[in-house]
Amino acid sequence: MSKTYDYIVVGAGISGAVVAYELAKRNAGSILILDKDFPTAGATGSCAAGIRAQFGTEFNVNLMKISLEKFEHLHEELDYPKDLIGLHQGGYLVLAYSEEEMENLKRNVEVQHKIGINTEILTPEEVHYRWPMLRLDGVVGATYHARDGHADPFYTTFAYIEAAKRLGAELRKHTPVLKLLTEGEKVVGVETPDGPIYGGNVIVAAGTWSTKLLKDIGIDIPLWAEKHEILITEPLARFLDPMVISFSKDFYAQQRPHGGFIMGISPDNPEQWFDPNDYNIQSSWHFLKKMASTILDVMPFLKDVHIVRQWAGFYDMTTDNHHIVGPIDAYDGLWILAGGSGHGFMFGPAIGMILAEWIVGEELAYDITKLNWKRFKEGKLVIEPAVVG
Amino acid sequence: MKRIENHPILTFKRGKKIKFYFEGKEMWGYEGDTIASALVANGVKVFRESIKLHRPRGFYCAIGNCSSCLMTVDGVPNIRTCITPLKEGMHIERIKGKGALHYED
Repeated sequence: MSKTYDYIVVGAGISGAVVAYELAKRNAGSILILDKDFPTAGATGSCAAGIRAQFGTEFNVNLMKISLEKFEHLHEELDYPKDLIGLHQGGYLVLAYSEEEMENLKRNVEVQHKIGINTEILTPEEVHYRWPMLRLDGVVGATYHARDGHADPFYTTFAYIEAAKRLGAELRKHTPVLKLLTEGEKVVGVETPDGPIYGGNVIVAAGTWSTKLLKDIGIDIPLWAEKHEILITEPLARFLDPMVISFSKDFYAQQRPHGGFIMGISPDNPEQWFDPNDYNIQSSWHFLKKMASTILDVMPFLKDVHIVRQWAGFYDMTTDNHHIVGPIDAYDGLWILAGGSGHGFMFGPAIGMILAEWIVGEELAYDITKLNWKRFKEGKLVIEPAVVG
Repeated sequence: MKRIENHPILTFKRGKKIKFYFEGKEMWGYEGDTIASALVANGVKVFRESIKLHRPRGFYCAIGNCSSCLMTVDGVPNIRTCITPLKEGMHIERIKGKGALHYED
């Protein structure tokens, strides 16, 4: 016999975890979270977990302001150890390597100031004064927002899931959804290897696996996997506080609380897939070489430091680098939250909460309805100038 | 001196004597020593302390994997002393906590 749920959340990454918790918090009904592996096994668990409000559109800055406020009080709200969630607000230092790039950053900062994100504009001299360990050859300026930072992607997700479970939600690990079950124009549940599980609402938060699940019931979304690589060094005593990034050189690097430096850089020709069966997540020497030579220009102090781990993961990309969120109204009760395009973790607490508000019919903390799945067909893309990594 | 003098299979050819410094103290080893082998021969048992509980850590895997022998060598932290050849005049120090980075202004 199988129980019927009010909500089935497919995927236990940050997105699924947040929406499950936010629904449980609102007494929305019975909730089941499914994951084909385990919480954080997909993109969330391979990400660098940076959190920044330094975006270039009012839309994204507003959302990240909500997310930052959530992150800052997450340990209290979810009743989870603060040191495990590991929020470290060492700021994001965005380096500009040309006057044009600096002008763009300044425009972004104007947007940020309007919304109450107090990003500073710095000259190379000011950057050198604050972080004398950085080599600034070619840097014409920078922006810095002190509340940006990073958190532990594993424990943050676990914290949400544990809190959801305390509120009655259930989690089933190692339970892949083989197919979304529909009857006429309504979603009625999911098919798993253990048989069907029925539910009134199904929320697809399966990252890059969402595309195939939806395609099988006739829904086409432009969401695909893009391989990105990342590495971490051996731990060292605390040395550098901010996440240092560059949009033009496409890298990010920061020191984690345990002391290792974690960093990534975009590939020249990123590998992309629509079908999960084609995914290749092997590490490459191309990445290692490009990463090491780029970062040593900026952080020469890493010269003799050993790399202890290198891995790859997927950005769940969309045509306009924004989430796809909301009802898939071809089927009653079908919802989606996927497509973070490399920013799924940092936006997670805000977007997951707002989707829960949307589902239960509350007023939205911020209007994200333009991130609906139809925008691609209608040509209403949401464009963000500040993306990296 | 803690050295294996006679071994049923291996023979040890000693190079010339070289001087190095451990925590500022003068010590002697041979060319062909690793830093770790020279330290052991000089009676040094504690190479570092564990990061969290500050327990002593000494010579362990001897093949550069275990991180038990990481030390600061001539100012560079986290050197695997068990696979790094000893050189004349080296300054070897224990790492307190995690290795410290430095920068040139």
